Amino acid sequence: MIASRRLVLAHLWTAFIAFAAACVLGAWQMWVRSPLRPPLATPENYFLSVTAHGSAMAYVLTTFFIMGFGYYVAETALGRPLPRPRIAWAAFWIAMLGTLLALGTVLSGRATVLYTFYPPMTGSAVYYVGLVLVVVGSWVWVGLMVEAMRRWKKAEPGRPVPLAMFATVANAIMWAWTTVGVAAELLFQVIPAALGLVQSVDVGLSRTLFSWTLHAIVYFWLFPAYIAFYTMAPAAAGGRLYSDTMGRLTFVLFLLYSLPVGMHHLFMDPEHSTGFKFLQMVLTAFVAVPTLLTVFTITASMEIAGRLAGGRGLFGWIGALPWHRPMVLATGLSFVMLFFGGGGGLVNMAYGMNAMVHNTSWVTAHFHLIFGGTVVIMYFAIAYAIWPSLTGREAGSFTRQRLQLWLWFIGMMVTTLPWHWLGLLGQWRRVALFDYTNPTIAPWAPWVIVSFVGGLILLVSALLFVANLAGRHVPALRALPPRYAQSHHEASHVPTALNGFGFWNAAVAVLMLAAYGWPIAQFFVEPSPGAIVHRVDR
Amino acid sequence: MNAPAGSSRFTVLAGSAIGAILLGGMLFGFALLPIIQGRQAGIDAWTAFCRSLGIGPGTPAASSPADTAAPRPVSDVAWTGATLAALAGAAPAAPPEAAQQCASCHGEKGIAIDPAFPNLAGQSAAAIFKQLHDYRSGARAHDVMTPMAQGLAEEDLAPLAVHFASQPKGSLDVTARADRNLPVADLVFRGDPARGIPACQACHGARSGGPIETPTLSRQNEAYLADQLRRYASGERGNDIYGRMRGFAAKLTEDEIKRLAAFYAWTE
Repeated sequence: MIASRRLVLAHLWTAFIAFAAACVLGAWQMWVRSPLRPPLATPENYFLSVTAHGSAMAYVLTTFFIMGFGYYVAETALGRPLPRPRIAWAAFWIAMLGTLLALGTVLSGRATVLYTFYPPMTGSAVYYVGLVLVVVGSWVWVGLMVEAMRRWKKAEPGRPVPLAMFATVANAIMWAWTTVGVAAELLFQVIPAALGLVQSVDVGLSRTLFSWTLHAIVYFWLFPAYIAFYTMAPAAAGGRLYSDTMGRLTFVLFLLYSLPVGMHHLFMDPEHSTGFKFLQMVLTAFVAVPTLLTVFTITASMEIAGRLAGGRGLFGWIGALPWHRPMVLATGLSFVMLFFGGGGGLVNMAYGMNAMVHNTSWVTAHFHLIFGGTVVIMYFAIAYAIWPSLTGREAGSFTRQRLQLWLWFIGMMVTTLPWHWLGLLGQWRRVALFDYTNPTIAPWAPWVIVSFVGGLILLVSALLFVANLAGRHVPALRALPPRYAQSHHEASHVPTALNGFGFWNAAVAVLMLAAYGWPIAQFFVEPSPGAIVHRVDR
Repeated sequence: MNAPAGSSRFTVLAGSAIGAILLGGMLFGFALLPIIQGRQAGIDAWTAFCRSLGIGPGTPAASSPADTAAPRPVSDVAWTGATLAALAGAAPAAPPEAAQQCASCHGEKGIAIDPAFPNLAGQSAAAIFKQLHDYRSGARAHDVMTPMAQGLAEEDLAPLAVHFASQPKGSLDVTARADRNLPVADLVFRGDPARGIPACQACHGARSGGPIETPTLSRQNEAYLADQLRRYASGERGNDIYGRMRGFAAKLTEDEIKRLAAFYAWTE
């Protein structure tokens, strides 16, 4: 078992408890939107629930999972104890305090502003301060990840940083960049408004600052899935990683092209010019490159494994893969969801097509399929893979794990494919109740009911996941961490630029200056009248 | 660490690729596309370039004809920072002098002497300010209130509003409480989407989701509430921005108006 297991387990359990509770809310929300009115279905309760669901999923599940997994990778991939474990614990408690403050405020009905804030709507300051504390905890984690890598490089001069750790640090650095936007929005605009220090908010600026964060935060959530694709799935399949360099390129491309692209969330907004929207659309298109590199590399790695297992012919290797192993199964299911979710994403990022799906259920469908599907199913697989080395216990068989993964996949498809269709029919997102007697809206009813059934399947899967983690009582035969995949061509030498982040940080700075420099400066050069603060906590 | 062979070449290559993508995007976004598309809209190249950067006005390409009709706002209230700050301030230690005139109908402590008049105690300061302002400007008319408000100076309004807002609401006589029958509770909490009526609570709830001037309704006088709903429905009262209340009230039945008034009058 690993030394920092209590630290890692504390993070992961926090993440998964928040996740399971948020799944209950999610299923209820779909019930509210359907023609089958559930109890307590008032708009006030609906938006309270959406705020709690979003905050728990987007800020608590992800941040705690990524921090915990990062500590795990730092110890196991580098083969060294974690630097400064006490500070790591302090960061955990700061983030935990923040979580309790934020969720407590939402549940008391004093911060029903949805998890992306939407100023000038303003809830209780306690909610925002709580979220800032979660971010502060994660900043400490960023420092610890960078320090762990720096110490390792000092001790092992000339050797390439193991890919899993290189990716974790890429994510940590990206996260530091990412949080600047939302932190500036909260600290200089939203929290002063919530405290009553200012009476109006420049919403153009706040939307711009949030867009800085909004795409990159999703890649922050996505990194662990990609780390599992590159460093865990090939080994679980019994093969090798096709290319270590491809992995490094992928991770630095995520660092580069997740940040100067957030304006694709503002295509329909009036506060920016078409030129900057176009530029950021072009840069967004390059986010597809690391994803395509990954699909190619992981498929090639799986082919190596399938052929080593005796698979023959053009496609015979697919059947020869060990699909009974949760990590392999999850990777396959994740790729299917990535195909649909990524395709939808290409529509969203196209300046022209975006207008057709703007503010519809299509968008909700896209991010549930990519994040809730592609990414979270890999969180499950990672948890299953590392749990024995954390608890010293393992599952007697993989059957319940596979059942849980299949249920999640089926539930997510049944929930989100109808949402895509409903979005094309024009169904709005962020609306609590629909008038199904209206002849325009009536045909939506069956599809909404289908997606509610999908939500119930997801809920069953989420509860089964927690039960699978809690109920492993067979002592593990070998409580060793899972082996990280070896590269097909051993990475003995990599270009300096792919073994550190100095060059990439400079490149991000240049891209951010070009993409966001004037769009943010314009609010100070030519200030616009602010929007009146609209309190929802009184 | 010694850089492996080819390291600096990789860095130069990567830097060039990143730079080329950036410059290509800028060339198309700031120059080629706006200039070519601008030509079709009759815009010269320099204007098109400036617009694409967000310097100077952007869309629409062709200016639309200006509306020459004189605007007829339903209310002259402008929520400026100064007004909001005055309304957010603490209540004056002694009641403003003008409050004495109000007391003859609305009570010294803001509890009306006749249920036909509204209680002011515990009402939102912004709501009181808006109604006084509207009586003053003529946006809302009443035989008694119009001359009263017109006798006040604009700077008198905020202190009066804050004074009455800070008074405690009247206590509820629970024994006189009307039945909370279910159909009206449904209207209050869920609205009736089939008739285009949103939940009353969406704006008038305990934690307001409505515009800043939305009044609190709980423990308001039943007769006054019903009367105002009828006035909105008939269009006699019309100082609601965008005609929201006129629209909703016109869709209510007389029975619903009575029940809604009773609901809020007897609700915390």
